[in-house]
Amino acid sequence: MRSRLPRSLVAFTALCFVFLHAPVLVLAVFSFNHARFSMRWTGFSLEWYQKLLHRSDILAALKVSLIVGTVSTLVSTVLGTLLALALARHRFRGRTTLEGLLYLPIVTPEIVMGISLLLLFATLGMGLGIPTIVVAHVAFSISFVAVVVRARLEGMDRALEEAALTLGADEMAVFRRVTLPLLWPGILAGALLAFTMSIDDFVITFFVSGPGSTTLPVLIYSMARRTIEPTINAVSTVIVVVTTVLIYFFDRLTRGRGQEEAAA
Amino acid sequence: MSRPRALLAGLNRRPRLVVASLLAPGTLWLVVFFFVPIAVVLAYSFMPRGVYGGVTGGTTLEHYRRFMDPLYLTVLRRTVVLAVACTGLCLLAGYPVAYVIARAGRWKNLLLFLIVMPLWTSFLVRTYAMIFLLRDTGFVNTVLLALGLVREPLTLLYTPGAVLAGLVYGYLPLMVLPIYVSLEKLDPTLLEAAEVLGARPAARFWRITVPLSMPGIVAGAMLVFIPALGAFLTPDLLGGAKQMMVGTLVQNQFGAARDWPFGSAASFVLMAVVLVAVLAYLRLRDRGSVEALA
Amino acid sequence: MTDRVGGDRLTRRAFVRRAAEAGAAASVVGTLAACAKREAPRAAAASAAQPLGPMEKQLSVYNWSDYIAPNTVPDFEREFGVKVTYDTYESNEELLAKLQSGARGYDVIVPSSYLIPALQAAHLLMPLHRDLLPNFGNVEATFVDPPWDPGNAHTVPYHWGFTGIAYRRDRVRQPEASQAIWFDRRWRGKMTMMDDVREVVGAMLIWRGHSPNSVVPAELAAARDDALRAKPNLRAFKSAPVKADLIAGDVWVAQLWNGDATQAMVEQPAIAFAFPREGSQMWADTLAVLADAPHPRAAHAFLDYILRPEVGAAIADATGYGTANRAAAARQAHPIPYPTVEELKHLEYQVDLGTHTEEWDRIWTEIKSA
Repeated sequence: MRSRLPRSLVAFTALCFVFLHAPVLVLAVFSFNHARFSMRWTGFSLEWYQKLLHRSDILAALKVSLIVGTVSTLVSTVLGTLLALALARHRFRGRTTLEGLLYLPIVTPEIVMGISLLLLFATLGMGLGIPTIVVAHVAFSISFVAVVVRARLEGMDRALEEAALTLGADEMAVFRRVTLPLLWPGILAGALLAFTMSIDDFVITFFVSGPGSTTLPVLIYSMARRTIEPTINAVSTVIVVVTTVLIYFFDRLTRGRGQEEAAA
Repeated sequence: MSRPRALLAGLNRRPRLVVASLLAPGTLWLVVFFFVPIAVVLAYSFMPRGVYGGVTGGTTLEHYRRFMDPLYLTVLRRTVVLAVACTGLCLLAGYPVAYVIARAGRWKNLLLFLIVMPLWTSFLVRTYAMIFLLRDTGFVNTVLLALGLVREPLTLLYTPGAVLAGLVYGYLPLMVLPIYVSLEKLDPTLLEAAEVLGARPAARFWRITVPLSMPGIVAGAMLVFIPALGAFLTPDLLGGAKQMMVGTLVQNQFGAARDWPFGSAASFVLMAVVLVAVLAYLRLRDRGSVEALA
Repeated sequence: MTDRVGGDRLTRRAFVRRAAEAGAAASVVGTLAACAKREAPRAAAASAAQPLGPMEKQLSVYNWSDYIAPNTVPDFEREFGVKVTYDTYESNEELLAKLQSGARGYDVIVPSSYLIPALQAAHLLMPLHRDLLPNFGNVEATFVDPPWDPGNAHTVPYHWGFTGIAYRRDRVRQPEASQAIWFDRRWRGKMTMMDDVREVVGAMLIWRGHSPNSVVPAELAAARDDALRAKPNLRAFKSAPVKADLIAGDVWVAQLWNGDATQAMVEQPAIAFAFPREGSQMWADTLAVLADAPHPRAAHAFLDYILRPEVGAAIADATGYGTANRAAAARQAHPIPYPTVEELKHLEYQVDLGTHTEEWDRIWTEIKSA
């Protein structure tokens, strides 16, 4: 039997939600404002979005972000899933060490990861560009994919796989016909996570990108340092809407068996 | 037997090979592109700086010695203080929010989604939104002026308050989620029993709810404290060049200051602090679970 | 106005030579010392100019922000059929840092004269093919064969300018046209200095009557302490982009270059520009091609394009700076006159600091960290 929550508590919670969402909402609203410099509302306008289509630097950055996102997601999903399979299903020496090492990228400050990769590439004499960004994004995504897929694996009921084995199917068929389909939502969730993290990443990308390989966040950063213009609002709003949609699907995929933890 | 099946049959007889092939690609990537670079940073931190930047041959402890100067220790202290303040504020605000969500019934899923959403919105976009609000000619000041609450625009940007607000704004959801998870697991019968035995609401809260949600509190504190320590974007965009934290110091050294070895040394000091925090967390967590059982 | 560009040539040239040679001496020593040490490895540059291939279809330009006319690049793209990617930076140190970090793919950069020894020490510049630069004859004699680049082997002069104080007349009535303004608490929180070590430390040195290129430890220490005293009055360290804040009114007093101040004045007439009475710094920017430029022929075409009188005039008009292109200045309605002999007494060229660059970088970190 639940007692009612005190009004003040609910009000405070509502305030917190407002605090968390208001800035971006305001940003989005003003992306439709006709005025360039002023905060005054001078009329609804889609001109800043139209300008986006003409800004070659924004379009180029979008292209780079998408390329990097797609490639790094593919690679990190495969590598992360393999690691998850090993950790969840097998016993081996050094397992706890690997688990610890796998969590290190998650707790390492992004700036340290960024400069460490910069130094590696500089020492090797490698030029900075799309390949270096992809390498960096895979490096930080693997751990997250592994965690998500592993959670899904450990939550899976093995009875179905055991039944298939008993009925005479060999390991490969079991994996292909039973395990993989059951695991698929988890893999997809991991992939979505990796993709979103790649699209959103700024700090690490900032250090390992070069000319001609500017991603959207890096472009927004240099635009924000220079001047305040509604075009930034417009491109930010686009990013927010896209990532919200992606995360909605991530949410649905991981909701399956009460896996709110996986969403965390 | 077809080739893949024969291959698999062979693998089945050697489970070690299976494990190795599962582990190899991912582990190799992490070793080469995570651990080796960190080792490179360590190496650089002991090398002397070149005239215009870069490094020259030799080893030196000069950079670590330089970091021990009160100036940079102040930067470190400021960073830790800000991170602690941010964690504290997130805890004060986050616990009630998590509590409400855990008791929200029908609204739980929606509220959870609303909490998760900001986490996956680009941090850069969110920080820019803060700038948009806090500038002298930004949204907040425009509203305040229009309402006649102030006569001159308040200086909100480029202050320690702005940086703290930006950090809390960025990391609050990370505090809410683990606390929510542990509150969710709370057995309501414990609370009912306490009520029957005559405990008042406040006592029930402080003596039962809080201790049992301690794992979530500690996890949330870690999830907030560690990124806050290494924050670079927030102090850079919201603090101007005035609220230097270790993250911005490192970025500076790899930027216009071109002092890679010193930046590497500063990074390692930062890593050391993070490691201390993680170790503390692990010990607290293990001790906490033992007490919860007892 | 225009005749001053032609007249006084001997005195100006002599002055520029003397000032630059003082720096050149220090930088030669620094360069030799640097060559003896191992710098960050780079693709080896050919010491003799290699013959170039056919015209490429792309070009990558790395320039200061707001340092070109709006139609320069589109017109160049159209005429030569070359696609140009254009990135910007805010300080020479930022440019150097980017290049040292391994940013490959830039063709044309725009370094200030004092940076050239550093770029040379790192073998970053490509020797120019003069036969591909027929318009080079348009360059003002003062800037031909300068001490920082004998024979213009690696660079083509672009613009020159100086630093001053831009302010909002409607907010700051009767400001002190002096470097002391940075200590004035009346404008606390409404002032900015540039995010540029040479400008900030240089200004503090000038305020004390020293050279802005000083390497004397006591003078540098005093400058650092002065900067730390001024810092609480400053809103932020911001370079050319502070124009937007001046226009919007967030900032009332800004350390700014003369051309950028002119650009701001166009959008906001309430902005004025003052020359500090203690003096200020002067600098000259150049166009250069990187040694590992992927599109060298297009790069040369771009340099030659900029040397055209009408193109140079358009850029000088748009940016508000003095041009090193004599033919371009002749076409301008209101060219910025080169400083008079009297004015030059209060201006000193920024020169390379050589081995002392490290000390200056340290001081900058200390100023920023406090």
